[in-house]
Amino acid sequence: MSAGVAGVVLTRGIGPALPAIVYLVVFLVLPLGFLFSFAFLSVERGEVQAGSFSFLHFRETLSDPLFWRVAWRSFWVGVVATLLCLLLGYPVAYLYSELRSPLARQLLLVAVVAPLLTSAIVRTYAWLVILGGRYGLINSMLIDLGLITRPLRILNTDYAVIIGMTQVHLPFMILPLIAALAGRDRSLEDASLALGASRVRTFWRVTLPLSIPGIAAGSAIVFALSYTNFIVPQLLGGGNYATLALQVYEYIIVILDWTEGAVRATLLLVSCFFFVFLITWAGNRAMRWTEARP
Amino acid sequence: MSARRMPRSWSDVAGGLLLYGLAAFSLLVLVAPSLVVIGISFTEKRYISFPPEGFTFHWYWAILEKQQLIDAVGVSVRISLAVMLICLAIGLPAAFSLVRGRYRGRTALGAFVVAPQMMPGMVIGIAILFFGSFFAFRQSELMVVVGLSVFCLPFVVRVIMARLAGIDVTLEEASSNLGADRAQTFRRITLPQLLPGVLAGAAFALIEAFDNLTVALFTASPRGRPLAVELYQLVQFDSSPIVAAISTLEIALALIVVLVLARTIGLERLPEK
Repeated sequence: MSAGVAGVVLTRGIGPALPAIVYLVVFLVLPLGFLFSFAFLSVERGEVQAGSFSFLHFRETLSDPLFWRVAWRSFWVGVVATLLCLLLGYPVAYLYSELRSPLARQLLLVAVVAPLLTSAIVRTYAWLVILGGRYGLINSMLIDLGLITRPLRILNTDYAVIIGMTQVHLPFMILPLIAALAGRDRSLEDASLALGASRVRTFWRVTLPLSIPGIAAGSAIVFALSYTNFIVPQLLGGGNYATLALQVYEYIIVILDWTEGAVRATLLLVSCFFFVFLITWAGNRAMRWTEARP
Repeated sequence: MSARRMPRSWSDVAGGLLLYGLAAFSLLVLVAPSLVVIGISFTEKRYISFPPEGFTFHWYWAILEKQQLIDAVGVSVRISLAVMLICLAIGLPAAFSLVRGRYRGRTALGAFVVAPQMMPGMVIGIAILFFGSFFAFRQSELMVVVGLSVFCLPFVVRVIMARLAGIDVTLEEASSNLGADRAQTFRRITLPQLLPGVLAGAAFALIEAFDNLTVALFTASPRGRPLAVELYQLVQFDSSPIVAAISTLEIALALIVVLVLARTIGLERLPEK
């Protein structure tokens, strides 16, 4: 066994990579082709109609005002969750980079990584308990404190979905930020402080610009995850709540309208990649801008 | 370093307070939900409410009485083992070729293999469901395995590639110069250095395949659902604390995995990849 592996492993050719490439072509590229083609073809009585290729389904979906309302909500919920993750994640990553004790660093990483290893449902379920109706943690606390008399409605609103998205995706923001901040060159900061700049000014002018690659990477991941997440809106948004990703799930699994599901999945994927590209591009621009700045 | 000990202005103090205040809040947000769930799992009430009342293991015993949950755990274990094996079997050789190969287009090929990690699980699940419909390949355990191995492979390859790129080739050259054959060199020099990467990749595939919902929801058969899909139904239609008990078990499992990872690979390496 081991001799065979070594013989293959040390070859300098393309051979050992072929199984993985073939696997991805057959089970990812080809299936994606089927997914996209479903959006262009018509299905009647469970049979795909040959020669029915058209943009008809796209035209219908794109001219539906309801579609745009839902798409807009998916977008801004994703943006707000990304910004909140950045606001909450950056201080944690910065704290990590300033910690000297290895034990404290380990503990912080456990707090960040452990939630990643529990399933999305477990993490979302916790928010059902915290935000949920009369017996939820927040409402029973506020009532006990005498701040409110009737329970607030948080569950089944945009707020609940945004809170859930932010918490579920926070580790994905913190890890790239840690990678960017923990390995940074501190001599520039020391120079800035030695030249009399305040810490706050040093942070804004030196530390923050140095961490732009981490900010861009984290934001791209968190936006993509939030934009395509249908579990959080399903569980925390309530019965009538709709996002683009949730609609894709409903069309394919509940309504069984695969054509409309394929149209929306295609639009979701294409727009998601476009926004991720935009964030990466903005990160590169910001990088060059700070380098060129006097 | 002396510059770091200079007297601070009030705005520096305020900035520091804000920074560390936010960090503390954010750590609370990360950890608190798990603590709440753990608390709820021991409540004596029949519905989820906080704070929990009393103390009972009732909801843990209730898990054992739900046969479909026990079956679901079995399905998930089988799926995650199969996914891990497939990812290692085709991912490990691919990582070697993509890091050490000497052929044109190697970088582009590497990008192709790693790129699918930007693909949402839902899209992979739907694509394979549609693809299968043309070949009488129906929703089944096998379909979940196929979908999840596609979903996990890029991560596994990337982790192993990162580790492999950091290995000093001169050690292997020294080994073969000293008369070791390829198999010996691989077994005694390459593999031990590579092991943390392989372990991290295997752990990732195992955990993701066990927990995954986004791919499994579209590819799993209604009979023989994996645990994540079963839980998804349960969360929506059952308001008893039984879900909290299952969640607590999952959190305990996650903590064990984190501790094992910390011991074997070191958590510090995770942000690097």
